[in-house]
Amino acid sequence: MTDTMKSGGLGRRQFLKNSGVAALGLGVTGFPSVLRAQAAPVKIGLVHPVSGFIAFSGSQCREGALMAIADINAAGGIKSLGGAQVEAVLADSQGKPEIGASEVGKMAEEGVAGIVAGYSSAISLATSQEAAKTNTPHVVDVGVSDSIMSRGLENTFRFGPGYGNIANFAVDNLNAINQASSSPAKTAMIIHEESVFGTGTANLLSERLPSIGIDVVDVIKHANPTRDFTNIVLQLKSKQPDLIIPANYYNEYVLLARTMRQQRIEAKGIYSVLGGAASNYKFVNEFPEAADLIMDCNHWFNPKSEVAMQRKTAAEAKGLIYTYEVFLAYNAVLGLVDAIERAGTTDKAAVNEALAGSNLDMSYMPYAATKMENGQNMGAAPVNTQVQNGDIEVIFPSEFASAETVFPMNG
Amino acid sequence: MRQLALLVALFAALAVAPIFIHSAVWMNLIIMVLYAALLGQAWNILGGYGGQFSFGHAAFFGTGAYTIAVLQVQLGINPWVGLVAGGMLAMLVAAFIGFSTFRYGLKGSYFALITLAFAEVLRILSNSVPFTGAGVGLLIELNPSAANMQFVDKASYFWLLLAITFIAFLTVWWIGNSRFGAQLMAVRDNEDAARALGVDPFKVKMSAILLSGLFSGLAGCFYAQYFLYLDPSIAYGSSVSVESLLVPIVGGLGTLFGPLFGAIALHTLSEVTRSVIGDLPGASLVLYGILLVLVILFSPRGLSGLINSLTGRVPASKKKEENNG
Repeated sequence: MTDTMKSGGLGRRQFLKNSGVAALGLGVTGFPSVLRAQAAPVKIGLVHPVSGFIAFSGSQCREGALMAIADINAAGGIKSLGGAQVEAVLADSQGKPEIGASEVGKMAEEGVAGIVAGYSSAISLATSQEAAKTNTPHVVDVGVSDSIMSRGLENTFRFGPGYGNIANFAVDNLNAINQASSSPAKTAMIIHEESVFGTGTANLLSERLPSIGIDVVDVIKHANPTRDFTNIVLQLKSKQPDLIIPANYYNEYVLLARTMRQQRIEAKGIYSVLGGAASNYKFVNEFPEAADLIMDCNHWFNPKSEVAMQRKTAAEAKGLIYTYEVFLAYNAVLGLVDAIERAGTTDKAAVNEALAGSNLDMSYMPYAATKMENGQNMGAAPVNTQVQNGDIEVIFPSEFASAETVFPMNG
Repeated sequence: MRQLALLVALFAALAVAPIFIHSAVWMNLIIMVLYAALLGQAWNILGGYGGQFSFGHAAFFGTGAYTIAVLQVQLGINPWVGLVAGGMLAMLVAAFIGFSTFRYGLKGSYFALITLAFAEVLRILSNSVPFTGAGVGLLIELNPSAANMQFVDKASYFWLLLAITFIAFLTVWWIGNSRFGAQLMAVRDNEDAARALGVDPFKVKMSAILLSGLFSGLAGCFYAQYFLYLDPSIAYGSSVSVESLLVPIVGGLGTLFGPLFGAIALHTLSEVTRSVIGDLPGASLVLYGILLVLVILFSPRGLSGLINSLTGRVPASKKKEENNG
């Protein structure tokens, strides 16, 4: 069975002490503090791969979701339900869709008000479909596959962008960066992992890059996990593309980037799309040389938002690395609880309806106004980041930018 | 005949389970146990009764799964037709693998490695060709109706799987009591001696791999319809091959009920460890592994052997009799 806990691995007292979240609660979450009433707690299921080959990302998701729950509870819980506290029901999908679906079935029977899952696209496809059988509201935190949202499931919602949107954004901005450069890139190679995320992204990029004058000289797919990138990097070396485009999970991304540095690959730029590590402080801190000047098109927070920066500080005070998994899972929980708040009930149909009409203020993200269409937040968008001087800077769009683009990276 | 009566009684009792069990969670657990038992029984035909240890049953499972999915998604062919086609194509793959290995006398670790290689080749192929959706995989459209082999309730999935599993178990009972089964076990125990007695090992092993491939392919078809999503790692990944062989090894190799015991034990163990320490990432898998090692250490002939020893029904020395039950 699943495990239930109130505010994650950290007690609320400790959390308050570390992050001063009592002060943040109101401003950060938008949930005003009220005296807590004796209302029945509202259970929310969190299904993530906290073991298996994507355990790091899954654990980050879980921590982000638990942070959101802690913040919501600290701010007085769900006001329309008499200040009901939110309880997390935790489950580990072990990186397997069938186990994720099985856990969702258990949660539905346990009476959760909604589910936030499942990090990877394959798992999200299975969990949302299982949740649909009981019409349980399901918010996808990270899974980017467009097919998750295209099945017409009335219980499935996503506040972040899908990869069709991300890939188009990536190509358009790459074109803008290229046009502004004195030495534009003319060739590219795509290195991607073999699952739905990497393959889908590679397919979209392969189609679109020629339209902006970049010839895709090769597309190389690798398995998960892959621990030796020497052969792939030697192919890169022989084909000498101007641009290297990786689309992989964290571990593979780090190993690929390190091998490229070891083999002294000279390219005009490394431009990731949903790079597992390129927008990750862990990578930047541990391998600053390998990470330097890598560009990425990825989920990111709005660096000009005070709320976003406060959340980042609170996460770091808790010992977390503030990766996209953390804030996307946080947002997913926030979106679900906001819907329950507006619905004023945990009735599944009412919560689904509230989610479908969500207009959650997400100004802490680089998004336009929240507008749900077929469960997808049409206001969601990625940004371009670049590692500069050991930090991750937003370089595009200009209204969110914290630094100028450096391209080409080798002068 | 006592075994057949027991088998029929067991499946008859199982068939009425949904009338009494209304929990979707429990139904799901029973479905997953039956699914594992089917996978294990498919492997048991070739590995347990035939002595040919395959490390690549994912090749058959994945072929069945992809057949039913590709026919529906790409060609709009009804999944009931796909179920038959999936089983047939899985048999075809089994025939190819069997012919290209048994024909040249490959056995033991060589056979195991070849089957592993075939599954891996199929995984890479399915990752590359467009009609399988390549790395993106195939999503079967959600359209619940019996005609689409998609059911709103778990009971209908259960009965479908129960029927397939019953046929698989009935086939294994027949193997244990037929001339073909005797020949298969003779080949397993001593191929040269069997040949000297007039048994054609190639023919016998080919028959076994065809049956094994058929049931593994049907398990793949069921998986595709139950979860409605496939990608190369799910279909041809090593976890299916491992589960296929682990279930009968734990339950009892070359026994009729061994795969059922193994499936019950492994899934119960998995559920219990996830319940007890599921909050601690990965700890449930560690505990699962430790308990598995203990089972294998203290019950090398599987749970069937243990049960027989404990009940004292079958003396440990009467291996042949135990192999059939």
